[in-house]
Amino acid sequence: MSIVLEQSESCSVLRLEGAIDIAAAAELKQMLLKALEPAVQAASNEVCLSLEGATDLDVTAVQLLYAARCRAKASGVEWLIDADVPEQLLCALNETGLQQYLVPVDDR
Amino acid sequence: MASKADQFKNAFREEGREVLVDLESALLELNDNRADQELVGRVFRALHTLKGSGAMFGFEDMATFTHNLETAFDEVRNGRLQISSELIDLTLSALDQIRAMLEEGLADAPVADPAACAEILSKVRHLTGKPEKQAKGKVKQAKSGSKAKAKAGAESNSSSSEQVREWSIRFAPGADFMLNGANPLLLLRELKQLGGLAIRASMAALPPLHELDPERCYVSWEMVLSTPAGREAIRDVFIFVEDSCELSIEPLQASYSAAPSLAPPLSSVASEAELTARALEDKRASSGGRRVYDAPDNATSLRVPAVKLDQFVDLVGELVTVQARLSEIAAKNGDPEIAAVSEEIERLTSSLRDNSMNIRMMPIRATFEKFRRLVHDLARDLGKNVELTIEGADTELDKTVIDQLSDPLMHLIRNSMDHGIESSDARVANGKSTTANIHLSARHSGASVMIGVSDDGGGINAEAVRTRAIERGLTTAGAQLSEQEIFAFIFQPGFSTAKQVTDVSGRGVGMDVVRQRVESLRGSIDVASKQGEGTRVTLRLPLTLAIIDGLLVTIGEAFFVLPLANTQECVELTTADVEAANGKHLAHVRGELIPYIRLREHFNIRTPRPEIEQIMIVETEAGRYGFVVDKVLGDCQTVIKNLGRFYRHVQVVSGATILGNGTVALILDPERLAQDAVRNIAHGPRGRPASQTSQGDRERKVARQRAS
Repeated sequence: MSIVLEQSESCSVLRLEGAIDIAAAAELKQMLLKALEPAVQAASNEVCLSLEGATDLDVTAVQLLYAARCRAKASGVEWLIDADVPEQLLCALNETGLQQYLVPVDDR
Repeated sequence: MASKADQFKNAFREEGREVLVDLESALLELNDNRADQELVGRVFRALHTLKGSGAMFGFEDMATFTHNLETAFDEVRNGRLQISSELIDLTLSALDQIRAMLEEGLADAPVADPAACAEILSKVRHLTGKPEKQAKGKVKQAKSGSKAKAKAGAESNSSSSEQVREWSIRFAPGADFMLNGANPLLLLRELKQLGGLAIRASMAALPPLHELDPERCYVSWEMVLSTPAGREAIRDVFIFVEDSCELSIEPLQASYSAAPSLAPPLSSVASEAELTARALEDKRASSGGRRVYDAPDNATSLRVPAVKLDQFVDLVGELVTVQARLSEIAAKNGDPEIAAVSEEIERLTSSLRDNSMNIRMMPIRATFEKFRRLVHDLARDLGKNVELTIEGADTELDKTVIDQLSDPLMHLIRNSMDHGIESSDARVANGKSTTANIHLSARHSGASVMIGVSDDGGGINAEAVRTRAIERGLTTAGAQLSEQEIFAFIFQPGFSTAKQVTDVSGRGVGMDVVRQRVESLRGSIDVASKQGEGTRVTLRLPLTLAIIDGLLVTIGEAFFVLPLANTQECVELTTADVEAANGKHLAHVRGELIPYIRLREHFNIRTPRPEIEQIMIVETEAGRYGFVVDKVLGDCQTVIKNLGRFYRHVQVVSGATILGNGTVALILDPERLAQDAVRNIAHGPRGRPASQTSQGDRERKVARQRAS
């Protein structure tokens, strides 16, 4: 499991790799807050979520990502998801009805 | 530090142990009430919990093994299999193996026997008529969630008509759901195996990111399930998380008519409008206001490691001692402000102490219930019919005391079963019922709890005990002994009147263990027996081993504490009163003559007696007794300190405590003092068994030493 935040002046990229579950929840929250902080201030930046290397997202991870997406929207920050979301991840999320909270229908 | 996975495993172990106790109890009750469907359901649910939670927490062998038993009880639920002694015995044997699997990996844990497991499974399959392959396949599904299990679940739980119904299910995990290691995905997968499932997840309770507890589950699910399975089968999916979630299962017809709009949202997705609403919620968060997720958690209980409780109680004990010092200093200082603060701290410390003691109190039910199995197994092995009855199972006592009680009770029951209860033939010949009774009871009595083990067997042959005691040199042939004193010999190490040593008892070890354990708990044992009618052994144990309310008294320079719970009142004893009673140790209290014990004489304290003494009137098992002291200084919170192994034979003193000024005060045991006095009056030191005479002398010597 790894959570990596790459920040530039115009965009923050958050890369999630491996199984992101309750053991990583506290770290994920901190990273999301960090990713949104400069973006919130600038109000024009983007946050891009990369799930290409993620193998599993549990409920705690999905609800954190959804809360971050809501915060981004409230702040006028663009929330983007890298198109390469692993199929197995989407299937697992679909089984719990959580897919809609992670990937907006139009994005898929 | 243990990893999260290990923490989850340990938490499950604790729950698993409780489930096993309940399962054992339910099985033994079911053995007596074979038509009771509620008991069948209880057994099934316990097995299902062990299987489901076991698989979830990595106890795969246990889940696989338990699944076969669950299948058997599912057959019973559906009326395809009858409860029989064989099924009960097999399940009880299986339970022992499950227990070993649960403890696997822990130091000194029992190890499951694969051969025994295989034999049990083979017999269970024979009973259920399920071939091995099918059963094995289903077990695997418990974890992996394949379709075979779905089919099996649907088959076994379906209504007789096999009609598919639609069910509206609402599932909202509690705050600590994820922390307990549960995973909604596994539950939803298991639910899906019952039929067609439409799912809608809701994040209505999700707080803004910065307020969100990352380890808490805020998601809830609304589902529609099309299945031939019944409500119970659906509920069984959630059985091992039921305590940590909100769950409703309703037939959809009713739900539709009540709320026709329920079905369409199931296929919808999180709309842009919902997202916008939540974004607005996010903005509003900074301006305050109560939202859905601000509602307090519904958790009504917490699971706390016992060691943390012990540390907590130890710290409260230290606080009580320091508070006593503060009170002493405040009294000497004379500053009203310090006195006011000291009084407030004393009040708070007292509340804290009571609360901490209450946290440690547990009902004795689980300890009592587990002996049903012992009685069942021993009765079968000894070829006797014995029923166990339980009274006062909700009586609460300190966890430490409960933990120490299992061994003594086990030895007492084994002894009753082996030596006390006669064979069925002998019972019939004596005009008794063929089914013998062992009765376990518990009740509070002042600051003590009385635990009773009685049987309606043949009773103790006092003459045989006396003869054996003489043979072993424990007493002399001419000694005048009461029945109580004769019975006390059975607790001597290696003492046995049994002509034959059996697997169960007869080596004279068990009762010695009982005595040692009860003494280490600062308790006492009383034996009453009538030949041909039965025996009753009563263990008197302190309610708590840590802190008690006491009355601080002095005799000469020495300080003593009498437990407040036993003390009823305090009256003066003047020289004129003593003369009026013609030197007899009897006090006239409001028309009642109360015998009293001069503690000065009892402990041989050689200081001048004051003109006016105080009699503390105390309620004991033997009646009301007075204990004469010089002065009563007042009540005090008493942190009980053990006197150590060297003084473990001293019975009239139950411990010591440190006073605010650093002085040591001995805590007296009024029950023992009263018993000691009665013995002295009845026989004098010469008439007592040798061991007790020396013990009494030792007590007085120790009390003198400690007092000075």
